[in-house]
This record gives sequence, C-alpha cells and structure tokens, in this order.
Amino acid sequence: MHKYSRNKLISVRREDKNTLIVHGVLDDDIYGIEQNVRISIPDLEVLEINGKWNRWTTPECPRAIPVLQEAVGFRIEEEGFSGKVHKIIGRKACRHHANLLLECCYSAKEAALIAKWEDKKAENKGLTFKDFINGETKNTAPAQVEKPASAGRDFVQRDEVKKKSFNKKEEGGTIIDLHMHSSPASPCSSVPVDQLIYDAKSIGLDGICLTDHNYVWDKDVVDELRQKHEFIILRGNEITTDQGDMLVFGLYKDIQGIIRLEDLRKEVDKAGGFIIVAHPFRGFLVFNVGELGLTPEKAMERPLFKYVDAVEVLNGKVTEKENSFALKVAEGLGLPVTGGSDAHEVSEVGTYATVFPVSVKDENDLINALKTGNYSPIAFKKEREKIKR
Amino acid sequence: MDNILSFLRNRCTSVEEIDEHTLKSTCRLQDTLMDAVVEITVRLPDLEITDVKGEVYRSCRKECRESADYLRKITGVRIGPGMLKIIKGLIGEISGCKQLVFMVEECCHGVILSFTKESLVDAPRPRDIEEAKEFYAEMVRENVRLYNRCAAFAPGSSLVEGFDLQENS
Repeated sequence: MHKYSRNKLISVRREDKNTLIVHGVLDDDIYGIEQNVRISIPDLEVLEINGKWNRWTTPECPRAIPVLQEAVGFRIEEEGFSGKVHKIIGRKACRHHANLLLECCYSAKEAALIAKWEDKKAENKGLTFKDFINGETKNTAPAQVEKPASAGRDFVQRDEVKKKSFNKKEEGGTIIDLHMHSSPASPCSSVPVDQLIYDAKSIGLDGICLTDHNYVWDKDVVDELRQKHEFIILRGNEITTDQGDMLVFGLYKDIQGIIRLEDLRKEVDKAGGFIIVAHPFRGFLVFNVGELGLTPEKAMERPLFKYVDAVEVLNGKVTEKENSFALKVAEGLGLPVTGGSDAHEVSEVGTYATVFPVSVKDENDLINALKTGNYSPIAFKKEREKIKR
Repeated sequence: MDNILSFLRNRCTSVEEIDEHTLKSTCRLQDTLMDAVVEITVRLPDLEITDVKGEVYRSCRKECRESADYLRKITGVRIGPGMLKIIKGLIGEISGCKQLVFMVEECCHGVILSFTKESLVDAPRPRDIEEAKEFYAEMVRENVRLYNRCAAFAPGSSLVEGFDLQENS
C-alpha cells in the first residue's frame, strides 16, 4: 500500500549572461512549498530568495519565511554549503524549505554548467557537453571495499545482570560528565573548552570527559587545561560508526570518516579501551512505539550490542522515553549503564553524569573503573537542585 | 531565447508498504542531465536498510554511471537521527556521484515523513487555532529535541511559550 509521496519540480532559466532564475515547487502529502531564487552564474552566489507556503502543519510555520533571507550571500560551491543550509535554514527556518533550497541551488549549479558550455560553444562550435563536462570535473577513484572483522570482548559479562540504581556519590567517589562537546573541536558545539570546564566546576561536578566528534585531544593540551583549572579533565572520543555514535575511551587514534563498528571494536580491544553506545534510541520513539512495533526485546537483538561494553541510558539530548527505553534494553542485556549530558551549549553542562564509587583521577583510573561495571548514571542537575532545596 | 528553460528537474520520492514489517522507498530523478532511480528496502521496527538498488539510465558523468553498485555499502544502516553523516561517510567519497547519495537520503527522509504523516492523520482534528497550538505545544513537550529545531518551535513562537528546557529534559 502506498504510504507517502513527495514531488519536487525545479525549473531554471537564464535571465541574462550572469544570472539564473530558479523556481522550485515541493508538494508532498504534508507540505506545499514554493521558492523563487536568483543566483549569479560566475560565482554561484544566492542573490535573492522569495519563499511561500501553500500548505503547512503548525500555526507557527509561517515564521520560517523571513528567515530564508539568511541564505542570501551563500555560495553554492563554498565548502560546507549544504551543511550551512541545513544548519541555518533547516534549523532556524524549516528543514523542508532547506531541502527545497538545496534542490534549487544544485539545479542552478547544473544550469550554470550548461550556461558555461553554451558560452564556450560560441567560440568552439563542435564542443559537446560531454567533452566540456569531462574537462570541468574530476573523477573520483573508488576506494576498496572494507572487509568485515570479527569482534572480541573479554570483560563484559552478559550473564551478570545488574540492576542499576541512580545512586548518589559514595564517600571517596567521583561524579563525571562522560559526554560533552567543545568548540571548535566539535563544529556543532558553541562552548569553548575553558567555558565548559568553568561551568562543570561551578555546578559541582568532579570531572568531565571531552568527547568531541572524531577528535583526539592532545595529551599535553589536556594536561595544561587540568593544571590551569585544577579540575579532572579526561579524554574520550565520540566516533561515528555504521551503527551510530560510540563513546570511546582509551583509544587515541585519529579515526576519520565512518568506521564499521566491528572494526572499531578491534581497534579498541588492541588499545585496551572501552566502548559505550551513545544515545542508542535517539529519535526512534518520536513516533509512538506501537507504530514501529519496537519493543525492548526486539531492540536487544540489534547486532550493535554485541560490540559495546556499556550503554548510555541518560543522555541530555534525547527524550525521557528514549532514555528509559535504553535502560530497559541495557538491563535486559546485562550491560553496565552510564550518563552524560552530551552538552553542546553552556546551559546543558552536567544535565546528566555518571557516579563512580571510586576515585577517578586520570584516564587509567577511568578505564579501570568503567571495566568494573560498578557505576550508575545520575540526573546530576536535578539531584543538585533537590539537595539545594 | 527568452523564457526557454535551461534546466528542468523532476524528482519524485514515494514510500510503499510491502508487508507489515517492510517498507520500500523509491526516489526517481529525471532532469536535463540525468535520469536515475534509487530504491531502498527498510525493515521495521528498527528501520534498518536491508537492501539498496540504484540504476542510472542517463548521465553525462562517468562517476555517476559507475556508482550505483557502491550504494550497497549502506545496507545495515538504520534510518534515524545521524543517518546522513553515516550515509555520506560510507558512500559519499567512494561513489563520487553526489546525486546518487542525495537520492538515498531522499529515500530515507521519505520513510521518516511517512510516519510523520501517519501520526498527523491519526491525531484528533483541532477545532480551532488554539487547539492546534496546544497539540503542537504538547508535541514539543513530549519530544524536547524539537525545541528550537525550526522557526515554529523556536523561542518567541506561541508553541513554546513558557517552555522550560531544563524542566522538560
């Protein structure tokens, strides 16, 4: 049975030697959108945008229209153009308008290529488009297909199902926010590392782990930060795999691009490190669970859980339902559970953290503590507020 | 000649329910320079991509004519937040054909939007604008991640009036 359709129609005409006029229409079962965009041919710069809604959902969707103007001045060929459209137009205006704008811009890019060919053809009548385009673009050599690797794990005992309680810190214990992002190491974060540390310290955390996306912090730099702020600062890494984001500790290899989770497991085992699956059900419960039919039992069958040592069950960027679903799955599998704010903004630091009953002062302590499985996540800020009252 | 188009693009993405546990999402592109189709099969409830097929019928770019086979690398990826980064990371560079990668993304978005449509169709029809506002305000309270993710749910919008990020997270 048919469930959904989206149609997009983009037409581009050349207004003059240097300008393209693009008209885009998006029509799907939910939305109806139109855009008119003027784009310069020589530098592919967005000169003007006019957008309108024909059909929309919330009563506040029309607020998106004025924000479209923020894309004026964007250049289609500049690095990170589509990311910028997603981030600025998608997040501040509307992601469906961003989708149509990208479609309009990439169509304009093709039209500009045709325009340039037409101009060249005026000098060289025999020039075919194919010959022209092969002179303009480079081919990318295909890479080798990666071989699958087997996983190995020696310290997580599946048969040991431990019920985790959200304990507060014991005498001599340590509370660490295991998941946070700083700017500019994580382009998605707006908090400079010094600010992150200052905030973590001021709200009463004992330490933090810097888990920037696919980013390895230099040991000396982190040592300096530790001394400067007199605070426990540890290195981690949030690595994107084919099975989602993983918080990795004890592996200081610069991994770029997307790695297969099986391969990451191998690397981490070689380094004697530890893997926590980050926000494993982020976004999966946006639609009600019944619609997808996802149960904790079914979720436990996901292959990714074979390759991780612990599960992040309190993450500041997901819903309460998604966190409690992750907890049910982790408990069912007998995997240890952790918490981390996933802070990208100042206000988010320390929302959640992990309580270790032992002292954790450096990265070795952290790995050893993680491998014991004896720790629990905490809604740190809420607990702190309760104590204050 | 005035008013003659220099480029025209037509893209259609459609999602079909094959059976209770399987969806098929197809993106068909026809424009002045390219004619191609990408089809993904998705298994519920995990929204896992179990099969990907791509065919380029017409393209002046060699890298696009030869890339469809690389799409298979995304088999096993789950549709959901963060999928674009994973898809681009797995096939973006090796395929060399941005259009095919974009078509995979469109197929995935189609699957998500098919569920959005279902939720909206199943929701009670608001009798007036106040009821509509309350429906969407509740949606943000339920899914805190939606807060500040678009103009409608940004500070200043009536849908998030009085919304306390800390209380709702």
